[in-house]
Amino acid sequence: MIWLTWRQHRKLAFYTLLGFLVLAAVLVPIGLSMRHTFADLGLAGCLRPSELSDAAAQTCDVGLRRFSDRYDSLNLVAVLLITLPVLVGLFWGAPLVAREVEQGTHRFVWTQGIGRTRWALVKFGLVGGAVVLLAVGYGLGMSWWVEPLTRAAHEGRLGVIVFDLQGIVPIGYTLFAVALGIFAGTVFKRMLPAMGITLAGYIGVRAAVEMLARPHYQPAKTQTFPIEGGGIPEGDRGNWVLAVGIRDADGTMVAENTRIQCPPGGKGPDGRACGADLGLGPGAYNWELYQPADRFWLFQSIETGIFVALAALLLYLAVRRVRRIA
Amino acid sequence: MEMVLEADRLGKRYGRTWALRDCSLHLPAGRIAALVGPNGAGKSTLLHLAVGLLKPDEGAVRVFGRSPYGDTDGLADIGFVAQDTPLYRDFTAAELVIAGGKLNRRWDAALARTRLAQLGIPPDKPVGKLSGGQRAQVALALALAKQPRLLLLDEPVASLDPLARREFLQSLMGSVADSGTTVLLSSHLLADLERVCDYLIVLNAAQVQLTGSVDDLVAAHRQLVGPRHDGGPIGGVAHVVRASHTDRQSTLLVRTDGPVTDPGWTVRDVSLEDVVLAYLADGVAQTSHSEWGVAA
Repeated sequence: MIWLTWRQHRKLAFYTLLGFLVLAAVLVPIGLSMRHTFADLGLAGCLRPSELSDAAAQTCDVGLRRFSDRYDSLNLVAVLLITLPVLVGLFWGAPLVAREVEQGTHRFVWTQGIGRTRWALVKFGLVGGAVVLLAVGYGLGMSWWVEPLTRAAHEGRLGVIVFDLQGIVPIGYTLFAVALGIFAGTVFKRMLPAMGITLAGYIGVRAAVEMLARPHYQPAKTQTFPIEGGGIPEGDRGNWVLAVGIRDADGTMVAENTRIQCPPGGKGPDGRACGADLGLGPGAYNWELYQPADRFWLFQSIETGIFVALAALLLYLAVRRVRRIA
Repeated sequence: MEMVLEADRLGKRYGRTWALRDCSLHLPAGRIAALVGPNGAGKSTLLHLAVGLLKPDEGAVRVFGRSPYGDTDGLADIGFVAQDTPLYRDFTAAELVIAGGKLNRRWDAALARTRLAQLGIPPDKPVGKLSGGQRAQVALALALAKQPRLLLLDEPVASLDPLARREFLQSLMGSVADSGTTVLLSSHLLADLERVCDYLIVLNAAQVQLTGSVDDLVAAHRQLVGPRHDGGPIGGVAHVVRASHTDRQSTLLVRTDGPVTDPGWTVRDVSLEDVVLAYLADGVAQTSHSEWGVAA
């Protein structure tokens, strides 16, 4: 069975590996150059702003801006890179059963001496194992590659897109995509519909989890800071900010999705008190709902757990369906 | 007599249509049986039920006394060649023999290789590039390498040209002649199988129309020609399978239960094909009339 699986999929394995090597050949030089620039601009020391003198903070600002100017377009590349798990699902998962049924070879292989349940378990297991290895490599590589970008960005590793790219979540995503592909293949029994459903289902589930579930893995924290002076409190860097606004002294939300900051004792443009032109009374403060940066691995584990569980459920259903295909 | 395959009121439904219903039959050991019926009669469904690919919706099927669905151990005794002889097209014949060895506990690779060598099949060419006849031979060699006690072949010669048909059936007969393997092979054309089979199962419109050994079936049917018949009983006739009438004369194909002695009838022997066609002609016309929404 192992021999058969290898013989059937070696070509695809070869091309997958080739694709990843080409990708690595493109991305590794970019990653190296990002890291050099990051070090050359002295940005490593900029991540704790309160410890910096004013002059140093100025240098940091300039450096960060130069870094962003140069590498911001790579965020687009990062968006493209998060599609890799679903590609694995499309080309490894969807054809696994659908192709056999489409070409009728399931009637050959399922009537040999080992039975189709064992066929399904061994095949799903081997392909699952192979894609986990692939996903681990991808997750590690991406963690390394995207690190300078995340460190330079305000949001840090918890930010959308970069969170999805690194750490252990790619394992969950890839397994889920492959399991969804296999399951869709057992339902539609043709490769193209199975691939289409895999694509649509993957995007739908990922978007739903990302928008509806992920912000609530843990109760979000709030923090407040005055609109005058001080600025964003220490340690804010890397937090995943879910909502911001300005509240009045009695706590009612005055302005959503905005924050203001005046220099200490500063006046607004027309000489009135800070924020008076926006209708803010005395004692108004900035309010922020966020997930702290140190929850990164907790969130990674929860999200990976969700997708691994979904993958397990889909594979279980797929094995059951395989028993009913003739 | 040992029964290899038994079906008891077996039924299988796809959605609301019954592909096979109320199917009861027995296949004794050592027979070469032809499963004949028009396209869509339920032949593939019956074979898939017998090899355990399908689960019966009604009744039961037993192969060597065991229910085949989900019975992995029983699979070792059944060789199956599906319709259109599906094989991994990018595998070479030699690789398929290796694959078979990995997928079966009992596997005679030498037998498969010897057969394929005798037939002149290239071992290192992808089977997708072989001719239809060669591919069918590869599929047969793989099924035989399992050393099955029952060999099921679903329309094995349908896609072959006449010469390849003859070669395929000859090589099949040659290989099962001394092993005692029971063979059940389906076709929508009786002519393909008439020369090789000694047992017959006729399926039509999801039902078994006729089953029995070829000799018995031929011996039990007669054609009667005589004056126009009004449907009354005739001495020695169990029932009339098919009747056609002109103004003055009737031609009946009947199943007999004794000698027909009435001198009004001319009694003729029939061929197997006459019998099968008479049974198949039954039943088809009514369904298509109702499907078209017109009166028969």
